[in-house]
Amino acid sequence: MTDEDNSVRIAELDSRIREAERRLNLVLDAAGATGGWDWDISTKTLTGDARFAALMGIDPVGLAAGIATSMFFSSIFADDQKRIRLAVAAMLAGAEVFSKDYRLLKADGSTRWVHAKGRTVFNEQDEAIRFVGNLVDITEQKRIQEQLRVAETAGGIGTFEHSEGFGTVQVSTYFCRLLGLHPTPVLPVSTVNNLVHPDDRPIIEAIVTSEPLADRNVEFRITRADNGEPRWLARRGEYVKDLEGPGLRYIGVAYDITASKIIEERLRRANEALSERVKERTEDLNRIWQNSRDLLAVLDLDGRVRAINPAWLEVLGAGESELIGKTLQQLSAKGSDGAPSLPTATAGSTRFEYSLRHADGTERWISWTASREATAIYAYGRDTTFEKAQAEALREAETQLRQSQKMEAVGQLTGGIAHDFNNMLTGIMGSLDIIRRRLAAGRYGEVERFIEAATTSAQRAATLTQRLLAFSRRQSLDRRATNVDDLLGNMSELLKRSLGEQVRLVVDVGAAWPIVTDGNQLENAILNLAINSRDAMPAGGELHIFARNVTLTPGQIAGLDLAGRRDFVALDVRDTGTGMPPDVLEKAFDPFFTTKPIGQGTGLGLSMVYGFAQQSGGAVEIRSRPGQGTTVTIYLPRSETAEETGAASTARHVPMGLGERVMVVEDDTSVRLLVVEVLRDLGYVPVEATQADEALDRLGASPHLDR
Amino acid sequence: MAHDIALDDLERDALTEVVNIGVSRAAASLRKMVGRQVLLSVPAVEIVTHKAAAALIGQRESEDLVAVKQDFDGAFSGRALLIFPETRSMELVRAVAGDDIPAEDLPELESEALSETGNVILNNCLGTMANMLQRSLTMSLPEVLHGRGEDLFVNAQGEDGGLVLFLYINFSVRDRNIRGYIAMLMDLPSLATLKVLIADFIARVTADAG
Repeated sequence: MTDEDNSVRIAELDSRIREAERRLNLVLDAAGATGGWDWDISTKTLTGDARFAALMGIDPVGLAAGIATSMFFSSIFADDQKRIRLAVAAMLAGAEVFSKDYRLLKADGSTRWVHAKGRTVFNEQDEAIRFVGNLVDITEQKRIQEQLRVAETAGGIGTFEHSEGFGTVQVSTYFCRLLGLHPTPVLPVSTVNNLVHPDDRPIIEAIVTSEPLADRNVEFRITRADNGEPRWLARRGEYVKDLEGPGLRYIGVAYDITASKIIEERLRRANEALSERVKERTEDLNRIWQNSRDLLAVLDLDGRVRAINPAWLEVLGAGESELIGKTLQQLSAKGSDGAPSLPTATAGSTRFEYSLRHADGTERWISWTASREATAIYAYGRDTTFEKAQAEALREAETQLRQSQKMEAVGQLTGGIAHDFNNMLTGIMGSLDIIRRRLAAGRYGEVERFIEAATTSAQRAATLTQRLLAFSRRQSLDRRATNVDDLLGNMSELLKRSLGEQVRLVVDVGAAWPIVTDGNQLENAILNLAINSRDAMPAGGELHIFARNVTLTPGQIAGLDLAGRRDFVALDVRDTGTGMPPDVLEKAFDPFFTTKPIGQGTGLGLSMVYGFAQQSGGAVEIRSRPGQGTTVTIYLPRSETAEETGAASTARHVPMGLGERVMVVEDDTSVRLLVVEVLRDLGYVPVEATQADEALDRLGASPHLDR
Repeated sequence: MAHDIALDDLERDALTEVVNIGVSRAAASLRKMVGRQVLLSVPAVEIVTHKAAAALIGQRESEDLVAVKQDFDGAFSGRALLIFPETRSMELVRAVAGDDIPAEDLPELESEALSETGNVILNNCLGTMANMLQRSLTMSLPEVLHGRGEDLFVNAQGEDGGLVLFLYINFSVRDRNIRGYIAMLMDLPSLATLKVLIADFIARVTADAG
C-alpha cells in the first residue's frame, strides 16, 4: 500500500466514522439516551461510556481509557458552568446527592438539555473516593415541561395527580398558587382537601371506578391557605392506568372560576329579583283580571275568544266552556248587525258598541274598547244595558213630563177663558128660555129684546172661538155615575151621521161597569175621536167602538197615577185607517198639533180628550202603526155608586118666590138680564147691581133683602 | 435590610450545596446508628418568615409534629430543628434502638432516643456546614418539642420578625417509614454573615475546581 492509498483509506474511514457519529447522535437525540460517567476523585480521572462521550461530544476511545476530570465541564453551556462546578465541588467534599439539569453545547452550536444524576461512593473511612452518575438528554422533555408551564400560567390552570391508595398528591406550582399554598411538588391529600368548603366535593376523592374514565366538571369553594380568601375553583380530569402500579391514577386540572361565579351569582340574583317582580306584577294583573266586573278578553285576530275573565259568567251567564272559541259575532244579540268593529291596526285602541246575548236570551249592551297586538286583540267591555234602560226610562219620563206640562199650560190658558165663554152661553140659553116662556104666555112684544141679547152673546162666543181657534175647556166636570153602554147607545145615531156612508160603525156594548165622568165631555171625546178616524179613512173603513172592564195596577198604563189596584172601564175607538208613524204618534196629544190641512183641523181634538181623561182620573192610550189603523183607548174609573139617570136631575123641583127681594150682582148684562127676568118670573123682586161696589150702595139704600 | 440578606441564584445554589454536604454527613452518621441505608432528597433552601415556615410545614404535614431543637452560636447563630411527623417518631426510635428492644419499653426510650438522634444529625449537619464555610459553631443540648408547625416556629426567635432559613430535605430510612425536615432559624445579622461566608465559599470552590 502506498501512502496515497493509505491517506485515501484514512479519509474514507474518517468519513464513515463521522457518518456513524452523526447517526449515533440522531439516535441518541431521538432516544433520550443515557450516558454513564465515573469520576475517580483520588486520581482525578474521568471515564465514561460511548453514549456519555457522544452526549458530551468527546472522543469515546479516550474517555474509555480515562481523561482529565476537568473535561466533565468542557461542553457545559457557559451560563450553567458555575452552578455545576459548585455542585460537583460539594460532591467531592462529601455531599451525597447530585441532581442537576443543565445545557450542553454541541459541536454544531446547538444546545441540548441534560439531566445529570449522581452520587458519591465512600470508602471504609467514609471518604468520598468516586463520583458516579448518568447523563440523560431531556431537551424534548424540557420543551414539553416549558410548554406545560406556560400553558398552566397563561391558562391559570394547576395540575395534580393522585395515585390510588396514596396519602399524597403530586401537584404543579400553579396548583399550589391557586390554593395559596407554598409551592411544592407533593402535598398531603388532607392539606389539599382541608381547604375545600365542607359542603362541597373534595379535590382529591377516593377512586371508585375500576376502569379509566373521564370525570365530569366539579365546582367547589376553597379558602386560600395564604390569605384566607374564599375562591371558587373548578376541576376536571381523568382516571387513567397508573404507569407505576396496578391501580388507577387521577390526573386532573384545576382553575379559578371566582369571577364567573360572581357574575353568575349576580345574574341569578338579578334573575330572581326580576322573576319576583314579574310574579308580583302578574299577581296584580291577575287580581284585576279576576276581580274586574267588566268583561276582559283576549281574542285572536278573527275576533275568536281565546281567554275571558270571570266577569263574563256574571254578565252573560255563560263561562269559558260555552264561550271560548266563539267569535263575538256568534255571541252577538239581535241588536248587533254584522261583525264588531275590531281594531285592524296595532296603533291605539278602538271603541265600539256591540251587544251580546245573555244565556237567558236577553240582550246585553256592551261598550267595548279594544287594542290590537301582533297576534291578539285585547278587548275590554263594559255592560251598559242598565244605563241604556235607565236612559230610555228617563227619556220616556221626560217626554211624559213635557206632555203633562204642555197640557197643564194649555189648561191654564183655556181655563181663564172658560168662564167668559160660559157666561155667553148662559146669555144665549137663558134668553132662549125666556123667549120660550114669553111665547108660551103670548107676550110676543117682549121677545125681540131677548133674541137680541141671545144673538149678541152667541156672536161674542163665536168671535172668541174664532179668536182662540179653540182651546180645550178646563172647567170642573159635572162628574156623575154614568152608564157607558147607554151613552154609546144614545150616541150611535149621531156618530153614524158624522161618519158618513163610507165608514161602517160597530158599537159593542156589553156589561160595562158604571163610570164616574161627565157624560157630555165623554160624548164630545168620542165624537172627536170618531171624526179623527173618519178623516184617517178617506176611502172608507170600519170604526169599532167597544167598552171593556179592566183592573189596572200602578205603572201598567203610562201617565196613569195609581195608589193601588183599581177598576176601570176601557173604551176602545179603533179604526182601519192609515195609522200614524212613531214621530207623529208621539205628538198626537199635543195641543194644536194636526196633520190635517190648514183650516180643516184645530189640533185640539186629541189634546182635549187627553185633558178630559186626566181630569176624570183616567188616562188615554194610543196605539198606531202606519197602514194598520189607530186604536185610542180611554180609561175611566169605575163608579163606586149606582148610576143616576139624567132624567132625575131635570125633574127637580123649582122653588117659587113670593115677592122676596133678591139682589143680583152680575157684570155681564145678558146674564144679569136673564137672571133678573127669571127671578121676576118666579115671583121674586130682583135688585140689580153690576159690581160689588154698586151692590153695597144698593144695600145701603134699601137694606132689606131676603136672599 | 431585606436585600442585604437576599441570596442570588448562585448563592442559593451554593448554600444548598453546603446543606447538601452537611446533611450527607448527618445521613452517614444516621446510617451508622440504624445500620440501614438512609436516602436523602435533593435539598431545597428557602428564606421565609416564621409564619410562612410554619405554614409550609403545616401544609405538608397534616398531623402533629415532633422536633429536636438545638441552639447554635458562633459566626452566625440561631436554632436548628429536626422535624418529623409524630406518628413516625416511634419508628425512628425503633430504628435507632434496634429490633431487640421490647415494644413496651419503647415509650420510655422515646425522648432519650430522639434527643440522641437529633443531636447526631444536627451536630453533623451544622458542624459540616460550619466547616465548609471555614467557621466554627457551638451547639446547645438537644431538646424535644411536640406540636404543630405553628408551635415549633413561634417564639423561636423572638418577635423581631426574624427569618427562617428553611432547609427542606426529606430523609427516609430504608424499610422504615421515616421522613423528616431540617430547619434553621436565624436572625437577620446572622443571615447577613451567612451570605458573606457563602460568597467566600463560592470563590473558593470555583477556583479549586477550575
